[in-house]
Order: sequence, then structure tokens, then C-alpha cells
Amino acid sequence: MITNAQSSNIHMDKKQLKALMRRSDRPGLTYLAAWIALLAITGTPVILTAGSWWFIPAILVYSGCFAVSAYALSHECAHGTAFRTRWLNEAVFWVTSLLYYEEPLHRRYSHASHHTHTWIEGEDNQMPYAPIPLTFAGWVEEILGLGLYWHQTKMFVLHSLGIFSENVKRVTPASELPRMQSNTQICVAIYLGLAAISMAAGWLWPLYLIVIPRVLGGPVMNAFILMQHVEMAENQPNIVQSTRSFRTNWFFQFLYFNMNHHIEHHLYPTVPFHALPDLSDKLGDQLPPPDPGFISTHWEVLKITIRRSLGRNDRSAKIRQAFSDDLTGAQNDQSVA
Amino acid sequence: MTNQWHDACATDDVDDEDLITMKLAGQTVAIYNTPEGFFATAGMCTHEDESLDGGLVMDGVIECPLHQGRFCVRTGKALSAPVVENLKTYELQVRDGRVWVKV
Repeated sequence: MITNAQSSNIHMDKKQLKALMRRSDRPGLTYLAAWIALLAITGTPVILTAGSWWFIPAILVYSGCFAVSAYALSHECAHGTAFRTRWLNEAVFWVTSLLYYEEPLHRRYSHASHHTHTWIEGEDNQMPYAPIPLTFAGWVEEILGLGLYWHQTKMFVLHSLGIFSENVKRVTPASELPRMQSNTQICVAIYLGLAAISMAAGWLWPLYLIVIPRVLGGPVMNAFILMQHVEMAENQPNIVQSTRSFRTNWFFQFLYFNMNHHIEHHLYPTVPFHALPDLSDKLGDQLPPPDPGFISTHWEVLKITIRRSLGRNDRSAKIRQAFSDDLTGAQNDQSVA
Repeated sequence: MTNQWHDACATDDVDDEDLITMKLAGQTVAIYNTPEGFFATAGMCTHEDESLDGGLVMDGVIECPLHQGRFCVRTGKALSAPVVENLKTYELQVRDGRVWVKV
């Protein structure tokens, strides 16, 4: 079961779509420069306040800016849509994947399975580690990212040794596994090398600007990731029923590379991040209205998981929900098997 | 009938830096119009059997619309993950404003 625009009964004029798919280096470079400037602005107080109580708010602000965009830019580069120039896309993909804590080739193949079989159990390699629908305990697990840290750490060890799970082999051609192994070894060498040099030289900046922010910013980043499909229907072909788009302010849109337009992204993943708002406008009423802002939507998700854990009504009137046995919305359902 | 020349389309049927797909002799064939000329390959991605029809043609490369796997339209060579298997290519001729493909 391939999940795409066709399986979702969404249609778009081919010429319009091709125009939106066009690549350019300029938007990606502009975003990248703005992100680096933001990290410089928010990272300077982290270094200057180290050892004082001011360090705590400084590093919290920096961590959110660091982790969310590292994930979002790595994701965009995994699609090859961040930049027109291929080497630039791949170079930024490597750096941001290292910051995100995943070997790039594995990231690309596991994400391909996520797009081919969106939210289909046993097929989509990027579903939550906690059972869904999420309970409160599952929400905590996903937000803290404990499953992800364990999974990725295990992969760095096993893939370095050339050991691949059946799940990885299912989505990766056998001819690519040696490259995945050597890539993983390079990643591990970079991590261990930086740690060794930092200890030898007495550097604290990698700890303050990369390691701690990746952990502290992880929950915010995971909240953005979780919003993409949580409380939506599993195991059916319609992306509109399995995926959520939501409104958010310009700053969060910037940090998240416009991935709040997530239904649109899954329908047409070849459209680069900078064209997603335009794509959303052109798809118009083929799409359901986006959910309210990031914080209000996520607050509602949290309340739903608490009510579900207490055995109470887990349906919400404030955000979109869809369940495989109870699909919502009349539109675009003709394709649902 | 296989290994025959087929009158596939008019040159004007394919926009600049774009492609169309069609069935010829039971095969799905993609015909590309690039600055370097017209080319023809198999029309389905070798990764997940997705039609290349909605893909992006750029710098002599076709990018699959589902996962952005990339192939050289001239040689069919798979250029980047998640594609590793090359596309079959077909001989192509342009005669009097018509595109002929040998399938």
C-alpha cells in the first residue's frame, strides 16, 4: 500500500506542481544563514553565562533553536530539496544528521519507508516507539525521546560492526549496507574524535553548544515531530487521514522549515520547504483546515492522552483526530480501502 | 511487438525540462525533453515502482516524485539513494517534429 497524493484522492494541475517543485539554492542558503546567525546570537550568552544561574535560561533558549532546526534541515536535505546544488545538499545533510544523531544513509532509507507507507504498522520505520494511540506514559516516552536515543545508539554500535536488523534490511537494498556501515563508522569516529579532542584540550563548547542542547532541545523537537501524525488514523492509504497540518507563528515556521504544512509535504514530497505555503494555498479546499497553533494543538494532545490513560473520553472537538475504524471528514475518503 | 520503432508523440507534447509517460508495446516509457535533447527511459522508478510522470527533470536528471531518488535520463544510471538499480533506456529519434522510440 503506497501512500501518496493519488491514494489520498488529491489532485493538482501538473504545470502548477512542476513550478512549485523547482529548486533553488537561495532559500536554503538564506534559511541556513539565518539559523547560524540565530545560533550565534543565542549561543553567545550560553558561553558568557557559564557558571552562573543565567546559564540555565540561556541554554534553554539556545537548545530549542538548535535542536528543532537541526532536525528540520536534516529532514529537508534527506529529501534532497533543501538546495539545488547537490554537493551542498549532501554536505549540510551530513552535518545536520550528525547534530540530530543519526547516520545519514539510514536516515534517508528509513524516511523513505515513512513516505511510502505513512503510518502503516510494520511498514513505516518511523512510527513512535510507544504504543499508539498514545497514553500519557507513551506521550512522556515520546517527548523525552528515550526510545529514539536508545534506538539510535544501538544502531551506531551495531551498524559500525556490520550488524543490521531485519527492519533495516527490509527498507535498505543489500548493496547499500556496506556504505551504511562505513558511514556509521565515520559518524562514530567524528563523535569519539570530538570528545577526545575536547577532553584533551579542555574544550567545553561542544558540551555547551551541541551535546547539552541536543538533549535539552530534544523534547521541543520531539513535540514538533509527534504533532505530524499523532491522533491520526493508522493503516490506511489516505494521507489526509493519517497526517496533520497546523498553523503556527512565523518564528516556529522558520525553525521548523515550514513542516507545519505536513499533509502538503506528504502529498508532494518533491516540493521544497520554501514552496509549501504556496502549495497549501493552491490545494485549497481539498485539504482540511490546519489545526490551531503548535502550543494549543499540543496542549490538546496532552489532555487527550491523560483522559485516555484515565479511561475517559479521548475524542476532541478542538483538533483533528482520525481512527482507522472511525475516519473523520467526508472529503478525500473515496480512496480509503 | 518488441524492438520496434514507435511514433510516440510530437516534440511539442513534452515541455522544456519535463517528461511525459506512456505505454508503448506494453512498457511504461518516459520521454524527456532536456536542453541536451530528447531521451527515453523506463517510466517507473526502480525503487518502489512509482510512476516517474510527476517527477522533476533538472540538469539532465529525473527525480522520482515519491522519494526523490535520482537517475541520469541519458544513461538511466541510478545516482543517489534510495535508488540503486538503473533505469532501462530506449533508443530515441526525432524526425519531422515527431519523437520515435524503439521499444
